[in-house]
Amino acid sequence: MNFDLSDDQRTVKTTAREFLAARYPLSEVRRLALEDERGWTDDQWREMVELGWPEIAELGIVEMIVVAEELGYALAPTPLQSTWAAGALGADISASRGAVVFDGLAADAGTADEIVDWEGAVVTGAEVEPVRALDPTRRWFRVAGGSRSDGGSDVERGRGVAIVMNAAESVGVAARAMEMAVAYAKERKQFDRPIGSYQAVSHACAQMLLEVEGARSAVYWAAWALDHEPETAPLAIACAAAYAGDAGRRVPRAALQVHGGIGFSWEHDLHFFLKRGEANAHAYGDASGHRERIAALTGL
Amino acid sequence: MDLTFSERETAFRDELREWLAVNDPGPEPLHGFDPHFAWRRDFQRRLYAGGWAAPHWPREHGGRGATLTESAIFFEELGRARAPLPANVLGLLLGGPTLMVWGTEEQRDRFLGPILSAEEIWCQGFSEPQAGSDLAALKTRAVRDGDGWLVTGQKVWTSAAQYAKWCMVVARTDAEAEKHKGLTYFLMDMEQPEVQVRPLRQMTGESEFNELFIEGARIADENVIGGVGNGWKVALTTLMNERAGLGFFLQVRMRQLLDDLIDEAAARGLLDDDVIADALGALHVKTEVVRLTAYRGLAAVERYGQPGPEGSLTKWMWSDANQQLAQLATRVLGAEALVAGSRWGYELLRARGYSIEGGTTEILKNIVAERVLGLPRG
Repeated sequence: MNFDLSDDQRTVKTTAREFLAARYPLSEVRRLALEDERGWTDDQWREMVELGWPEIAELGIVEMIVVAEELGYALAPTPLQSTWAAGALGADISASRGAVVFDGLAADAGTADEIVDWEGAVVTGAEVEPVRALDPTRRWFRVAGGSRSDGGSDVERGRGVAIVMNAAESVGVAARAMEMAVAYAKERKQFDRPIGSYQAVSHACAQMLLEVEGARSAVYWAAWALDHEPETAPLAIACAAAYAGDAGRRVPRAALQVHGGIGFSWEHDLHFFLKRGEANAHAYGDASGHRERIAALTGL
Repeated sequence: MDLTFSERETAFRDELREWLAVNDPGPEPLHGFDPHFAWRRDFQRRLYAGGWAAPHWPREHGGRGATLTESAIFFEELGRARAPLPANVLGLLLGGPTLMVWGTEEQRDRFLGPILSAEEIWCQGFSEPQAGSDLAALKTRAVRDGDGWLVTGQKVWTSAAQYAKWCMVVARTDAEAEKHKGLTYFLMDMEQPEVQVRPLRQMTGESEFNELFIEGARIADENVIGGVGNGWKVALTTLMNERAGLGFFLQVRMRQLLDDLIDEAAARGLLDDDVIADALGALHVKTEVVRLTAYRGLAAVERYGQPGPEGSLTKWMWSDANQQLAQLATRVLGAEALVAGSRWGYELLRARGYSIEGGTTEILKNIVAERVLGLPRG
């Protein structure tokens, strides 16, 4: 038993953190989200391909979710997560990009080489219409019509990978929102004291840490189970999705409250995290849906 | 990352399971604290005879030199077998390890053996009526008297005091010194008329805890632990050990409680009720998250050599989830859960103490905010 990242997995994490910090400062996230029509650049995609990220699942799902968490932390707008999800559901993503249709919507479908649905069927000839989503850091599309191949094999596992990857991203979103709140609480003074010295604020920050660490525990477990213990994976995945989905939106909400008025402004970056967290909490099923699944799996 | 037990860990678990299978502690006495304590004491004697009383202690002191993970397994398995915590849990988890850090060789030789065998029960005299979370505000004082000390003061929330031979007492030995200095850590003999133990009746109607009235109790110089004036540091060692291991026992107990509640809900046909099923599902997730975060905490200790924030987080998560669980039981069982003396009625009331004992949730939040997040002190 060693419930911790291995040295190699730590290296993956550090590499991702440094690369993403260099390529996606929040000014660049904002530019891509609000000014770049496609939402990502060829250079950014090419560098991720050079890092071997599209195929990182070949190393392991733990390695994948380590990078997914960092993508959430950086809030990097990129079609990488959609490509991972599509690959897990059977799309051929070698040297190309994918997208997954869930509930008639698919992130990054407009630039995907291959689109699959939640049954793992390849979707061809569909109408793909852009949707202006609340979360501007990801490009969403409505996908209708077209024809579908037979469903993929091992769809259950593919769905699990997509769900856990999305949950991992929410952990990163929550972790960054917490860091922003803590930094602000140390620096912002009211009544001649940093607001973080007031327990109403500091206890809210402590609650954020509880949710971030709890979510991380559940996501690590699910990713590990997908790699090593398939029989416990379904339950672990549902637990991770339910807990991290909630944390991914609750923590940014609380972080916004700590920021007060500035957090509510367009000029501040926090709202991007809140919007991504909210969007993630609905991608591939929401928390109450995952709890229903837990109920079914545990014979509740 | 590896969430499976190693061969050595599996062997440890299997050996323990086998031992527990032939050493069934028998049914838990449900009424009265004396029979309950006797049951736990008897169980500890059997653990001791089997070499299982304190696996986490080093071999030279009668333990098994168990790793942190093995120690976690030990407590998980006790919980799973519905065995009790050993009667001398305070000596085994707090007193012994404190002596191993701060005690002299003579003190270890004198005290460790009888802790293991449950021959001498230990209790913890820290909290006072005016010093709860703010432990260093304690008022109990010790004054020099020949080659020893005379102690006077009042302690509260002292569990097992009525059975204890020794009490870990922190007392003020220098009234002039700063608050955190001038404290000394003593081992006080409970068997003297100057120490009066009065049961403290709690809101469940029982008396798990006691008040201690100390009127000039005598403590020999050789029972000072860690030197005069060093009591705060020694007390911190005790408190650092407070949540070690125990968390795994409590987490398994919560799991069992949840499973029992699910059975109750099933028996009433309530599993099809979306609201109840959602609440039970949410508690399932929280119970898993406590377990997983506790295991991550062990990995952090092994990597960094000291406990991370997980100890505070898991205790806080556990008390929250347990309170929600007890509350949910009232919805599942209805008025039946409100019958005095019933199991769920007891849980409903007892759980209110979980967010207070062993560090209030507010203090845990302060610890997390200040020591982990680096926020300024209020």
